[in-house]
Amino acid sequence: MSNSVVCNHCHLEFDKSVMIVEENIKFSTEAPEQSKGKLYFCCNGCQGVYHLLSDEGLDSFYDKAKGVTLAPPTKQYEDSANFNSPAFYERFVKINKDGFHEVSLIIEGIHCSACVWLNEKALHKMDGVIEANINFTNNKARIIWSDEVLKLSAIIDMIRAIGYNAYPYDASMQEAHANKERKEYYLRMAVAIFASMNIMWIAVAQYAGYFSGITQEVKTILNIAEGILATPVLFYSGWVFFRGAYYGVKNRVVNMDLPVATGASLTYIYSIYITVSQSGEAYFDSVSMIITFVLIGKFLEILSKKNAADTLDIVGKHIPNVVNILKGPSIVSCKIADVVVGDIVVVASGEKLLFDGEIIKGEGSFDESNLTGESEPIYKKTGDSVVSGTTSIDADVQYRTTKDFEHSTLSNLVQLLESAINKKPRIEKIANRLSEYFSAVILGFSVITFFAWWLWPHSFEISFMVAISVIVIACPCALALATPVATLVGLSLGAKRGVLFKEAAQLETMAKADMLILDKTGTLTVGKPEVVKEHINSVFDVNALYSLVKSSKHPVAKGILTYLEQKHEHFENLLFDEYKQLSSLGISALYENFEILGGNYKLMQNNGITSDVSSDNTLFYVAVNKKVVAVYELQDKIKENAKEIINSFKKKNIDVVMLTGDNESTAQKVAIAIGLEHFYSHQTPQEKADYVSKMHEEGKTVVMVGDGVNDILALARADIGIVMGSGSDIAVEVSDIVLLNDSLKSLEDAFKISRTTYFLIKQNLGISLLYNAITIPLAMAGYVIPLVAAISMSVSSLLVVGNSMRIRYKWNKN
Amino acid sequence: MDNWVITMMLGASIFLGAIALFAFLWAIKNGQFDDEEKFLNAAKYDGVDELNDAVKQEQKREKLKKDYRPE
Repeated sequence: MSNSVVCNHCHLEFDKSVMIVEENIKFSTEAPEQSKGKLYFCCNGCQGVYHLLSDEGLDSFYDKAKGVTLAPPTKQYEDSANFNSPAFYERFVKINKDGFHEVSLIIEGIHCSACVWLNEKALHKMDGVIEANINFTNNKARIIWSDEVLKLSAIIDMIRAIGYNAYPYDASMQEAHANKERKEYYLRMAVAIFASMNIMWIAVAQYAGYFSGITQEVKTILNIAEGILATPVLFYSGWVFFRGAYYGVKNRVVNMDLPVATGASLTYIYSIYITVSQSGEAYFDSVSMIITFVLIGKFLEILSKKNAADTLDIVGKHIPNVVNILKGPSIVSCKIADVVVGDIVVVASGEKLLFDGEIIKGEGSFDESNLTGESEPIYKKTGDSVVSGTTSIDADVQYRTTKDFEHSTLSNLVQLLESAINKKPRIEKIANRLSEYFSAVILGFSVITFFAWWLWPHSFEISFMVAISVIVIACPCALALATPVATLVGLSLGAKRGVLFKEAAQLETMAKADMLILDKTGTLTVGKPEVVKEHINSVFDVNALYSLVKSSKHPVAKGILTYLEQKHEHFENLLFDEYKQLSSLGISALYENFEILGGNYKLMQNNGITSDVSSDNTLFYVAVNKKVVAVYELQDKIKENAKEIINSFKKKNIDVVMLTGDNESTAQKVAIAIGLEHFYSHQTPQEKADYVSKMHEEGKTVVMVGDGVNDILALARADIGIVMGSGSDIAVEVSDIVLLNDSLKSLEDAFKISRTTYFLIKQNLGISLLYNAITIPLAMAGYVIPLVAAISMSVSSLLVVGNSMRIRYKWNKN
Repeated sequence: MDNWVITMMLGASIFLGAIALFAFLWAIKNGQFDDEEKFLNAAKYDGVDELNDAVKQEQKREKLKKDYRPE
C-alpha cells in the first residue's frame, strides 16, 4: 500500500515519513472524513502559508484551487527593504491624482485563477491597500496604496508570505501608449461596425424601393436615418483618417488617409445635399462602409505591432537587484550598480552570475548555455574566468569582478538586444503601398471627371454626382480586404498546426525568405540527453538509483530519471544516511551498508573503480560498494524527420545553415546525420547575430530558428525569428513566430502557409484591381447607376473573401 | 403605412441600439474586457463575499482620503 500523502498547502505528494504532521485544531465534526484530524506539510514554508491563510480567513482558496499543485514557498528572497528606497520609488512608484501611491508588479507563481483571487484578497485585507488588480493573462498587478499607512515592502512581504513573489516592472509610456491606442480603436470600431450594420438594413429598403417604387417622403426618411447613423462613423470612427490626413498635408505627403478622408467627407456632403434637395440618390452607406473597412484594416496593423516594452520587462526579470559581496570577513548584500571592479562576489549554487570575473575560491559546474548554447555543464575551478549571464549549477564560489555591471557581457547583451529590436528590417507591405497610390489616383480621376463633365457642358449637379460616383464605385473595400482576410485565414491555419505568427506582415516576409539559419541544441536536437543504451552488470535496487538522481538538477541525471520513470512504474524514495553532490563528477550516497556512486568515469577513477564500457556518447556509471553495476549511455537525439525536412527546404531553393556554440565534432556529427553541408561551430551570440547581418548585406531574407537566450540577438536581427515553444522567455519574446510543438514539421508548415498565403494575397490584389479597372471607366463615363454600384461593391468584396478561403482547400490538396 | 410609423420604428430601434452601444463602450472604457480570463472567472467566483469586499474597499478608500488628505 502506498504510504504517501498530499501536502495540505502545495498538494504535492510525498512519503508520510518525511512530512511535518500536526493536529488539526480546527478539526470539525462536519467533515471528519476529510480532515481526519491531521494536517501534513512537506516543508515549513507550506506550513507557514497554510496557517497564515487560515488565520486570515482565506482558506477557501484551497477549495478554489482544487487539483492544482503549487510550488512550495521555500525560496529565500532578497531583503524587501530595498523596495522602500527612494531610488526604487522614483523609478517605479507613481502618485495618482488622489494622492495615493501606485506600483506595477509582475507576480511570480500564479498558476490558476484561485491564485489571482488569493493575492487580491490577501492584499485587500491589508490596511492601507486601496486597490489590487491582478491580470491573470500576463500576471501583471497594479497596486494602489496609501504610503502613510504602510510601506511597499509590507505589500511585497505579504505576497511572499502567501507563497508568491513579486518584482516591479516599468509600466512605461510605451506599453501604456500601445494599450491606450488599442482601446481607442476598439471604441471607434464598435461605433463603426454598429452603425454600418444598421445602415445596411436601411440600404436594403432603399435598393428594394429603387425597383418596386418608393415615395420621395419615405426615401427622405430613410436618408435621414442613414445620415444620423453615418455621422458618428465619419466624425468619430473616421477621426483617425482626418488626423492622419492633416499631418500628411502639413508634412506635404499624400498618405492613404487623405483620399479616404476627402472621399468619405465629399460623399457625405453630397448625400446631405441630396437629402435636403429631395432628388437623386444619397450614398451614406458608402461613407460608413469605406470608413469601417479601412478602419478594420488599420486596426489589424495596430494589433500586431510588437510590444518592445514587454520584451524588456522580461529581460529585466532575469537580472536581480542585489548581489552578495565579501566585505572583510562578512558577506553583505550590495546593489549591482554599487559593485566596483575588484569586489569579491559570493555565488551559491543555482544563482546567476552578473559580473565577468575570475574565481578566487571554490569550484563547480556552470551552465553557459545562455551564452554559448553548449548543453554540457562546464567545470571551473580557482583561477578560471567566469562570464556574466552563466548560471552556477552546483558551484559555491567566490569570484573577483573584472568589469562593472555596465560593461559586463550580460548588460552588453541586453543593450544589443534593445537596439536589435528597433533595428529590425522590414519589407514594406505591397498592399499598403498599392492602396496609397490607388487612393491618390482615384482622387485624381474623380477631379478630372468633374471638370470634364462640367466643361462638356453639364450642370454642376450632374458633374458632381458623376465625380462622386467614381469615388464610390472605386470603393477600397476589396483592396482593403485583400490582405487582411487572406492573412487571417493563413494565421488561423497556422495556429491550428502549432505555428503562431505574432505579426500578420510576417507571412509576407517569410514567403520571400531565401535563407534558413538553424541553431543546433533544442532546434535540430531535442536538447535533453536521453538514455540510448543500458549496460547492466549485476542486479541492483532501482529505487536506490532513482533516489540518487532525483534530487540532482544536472541534465544527465534528469535524463536517467526520465528513463527510469518510463521503464518502471513504482518507486520507493529511499532516505539516504548521507547524500553528496560532487561538482562535475556525480553523486555519492550512503544507505545502510551500501555506498552508492553515480557519475562520470572520473568519479569511478577517483574511487579506484574500473569499467570496460566506452562510447562516444555521454556515460553515466552506477557503482555499489566499489563495483560498477550499470552503465547508461546518453545522447542528445536529433529531432524526428530532420533530414527529410532539411531536404525539402533545399528543394525550395532555400539555403540552410547551422550555427552552434557547441564544439566542432558535435556539430559535425549532427550536420552529417541530417545531410547539412554548411555549419559553423563555436559561435557566440554576437557572432551568430553578425552572421545574420552579413547575410542581410548579401541581400538575403533571413529566417533564424533558435530556442535559447544565446540565440536572441540573432533572432531579433533576422527578418523572421522563429523560436521553439519550449524556448526561454526572452527568446519567445523577441521572435516573430513561435512553434508550439517544437517540431521541425511545424517549421516546414510555417513556410508552406506563408507562401500559399502570400500567393493568394497577390491574387486578391489582382482581382480587386481588375474590378476597378472595369468599373472606374464606366463610372467616369457616367454609366453607373446605384444598382450597379451596390452589387459590384458586394461582389468584389465577396470574391476577395471567397478567394482567401481557398487557402484551406489548397492546403488540403497539398 | 403612414410615414410616421416608419419614422417612429426607425427612431426607436436606432435609439435602443445606441443605448446598447453606449453600454458596451462604457464597459470597454472601464477596462472590463482587459483580462479575458478574469472576466470569465468573475462569473464563477463572484458572490456575496466579493461584493462585500468591493464595498469595504470603497469605504477604505474614502476613509483614507478623509483621514490623511483633508480637502
